[in-house]
Amino acid sequence: MAAAADSSGDGGTSSGEKTIVLVSSDNSARFEVREAAALLSQTVRRMIDEAGADASGDGITLPDVDAKTLAKVLEYCNKHAPASSSSSAAEAAPPAEGEEDLERFDREFVRVDMGTLYSLVTAASYLKIEGLLNLTCQTIADMIKGKTPEQIRKTLGITSEFTPEEEDEVRRENAWAF
Amino acid sequence: MGVGASSVVAPEGYGRGWGQTSLGDMPESCVAAVLLYLDPAEICQVACLNRAFRGAASADCIWAAKLPANYRYLAALAAAADDDDCGCDDAAEGSDGRCCSSAAIKKEIYERLCRPTPFDGGTKEFWIEKNKGGFCMSISSKAMSITGREDRRYWSHLSTEESRFHSVAYLQQIWWLEVGGEIDFCFPAGSYSLFFRLHLGRPHRRMGRRGHGSENIHGWDIKPTRFQLSTSDDQHTASESYLINPGRWILYHVGDFIISSSDEVTELKFSMMQIDCTHTKGGLCVDSVCIYPKDQGYEEDCIFCQKIL
Repeated sequence: MAAAADSSGDGGTSSGEKTIVLVSSDNSARFEVREAAALLSQTVRRMIDEAGADASGDGITLPDVDAKTLAKVLEYCNKHAPASSSSSAAEAAPPAEGEEDLERFDREFVRVDMGTLYSLVTAASYLKIEGLLNLTCQTIADMIKGKTPEQIRKTLGITSEFTPEEEDEVRRENAWAF
Repeated sequence: MGVGASSVVAPEGYGRGWGQTSLGDMPESCVAAVLLYLDPAEICQVACLNRAFRGAASADCIWAAKLPANYRYLAALAAAADDDDCGCDDAAEGSDGRCCSSAAIKKEIYERLCRPTPFDGGTKEFWIEKNKGGFCMSISSKAMSITGREDRRYWSHLSTEESRFHSVAYLQQIWWLEVGGEIDFCFPAGSYSLFFRLHLGRPHRRMGRRGHGSENIHGWDIKPTRFQLSTSDDQHTASESYLINPGRWILYHVGDFIISSSDEVTELKFSMMQIDCTHTKGGLCVDSVCIYPKDQGYEEDCIFCQKIL
């Protein structure tokens, strides 16, 4: 399987910056990304530390993240990664991306279907990417705020499996908060 | 989307395509991560949605974030108060006693702390405000020293349901008004405001209607009443206000103080005085001193006293 260029389009090796190869859980996709982007994930950071300096030849396999989710996660990481320490002029763009630009990106980034959003929360949690976890959790939380239970069920696509007795029990347990 | 993966065929047996992940596939820890962004009332509302939410809504990590830093100390006080109430030796007996035993989950502790806990012989109460978890306390006039309290010409006690302590101190008339008190307590770190809860006039209910007797009200518009607040770490406020608006309970905001550590005891002293002996004053109910998180938003009318420099 050929290594793929990362989504920002600049081949890591050509600018001399270190890149890391990340592999999805099913081994179906490999992504080469700037080290700065990959290290937004505390999990990847730890895996690299544990594997030692020269282990990145084969790429790092992420057993809990499928290809499509990983691609989307890396889109986020590439946008939010800090500027590389090597000061080549071509690399000057990120993240001199202003805050407004990042906010706009984040808003667009989470305009996806619920299934994708859930996958992103799960991946962000596993990969320990704080900014992405905050963004996706806040998005789902905002979908919940101010809605009735029926509206929330519809928006989140969930059904209740409670028996009437269970429902009463849950309601009684939680009545104190209202 | 511009993703450059060379092959994105999902292998056999994986079973999920894009957008087919459902909430049920999100681990409970991730649902809990979402619930961290909701308020207690919202969390308890979504607990009723389905089993995954019910489980996540009880996760300790969510409620730990909402509890005050010194919740273990507060919960122990609550358990002791509950034990006194029901007379049980075993804290695990009874539906309330269990709540603050070591077996209680944090959600139950939060729920229990939202209900008032009396202490010092029932002359004081504390609770946490259920929406944001802010620490609140009320100190009854029964716990304060009032000059001339024993003299029935000046002061008497009024039973009333308009006080959480069921009785307030009522002043007929006096030259020298001095009411003060103090409290030593481990407040959770944060910023607080202190108020005197006062009422001009004698409240009553007749034929189901609430009213007040204003016969004794006098003297409050001649000179302002002075309030003071100080802490053991040298925060001081002095302020003053005319007392106004008969017939309503009013929170007179004395001042604010900051608690930096949840593990240290702070001593607070507070007082109200009107000792200008050229005029008498009377017709006043003194209910309590209230301590609330700063800028919380209050259900009763609030008057901000003028700071005296």
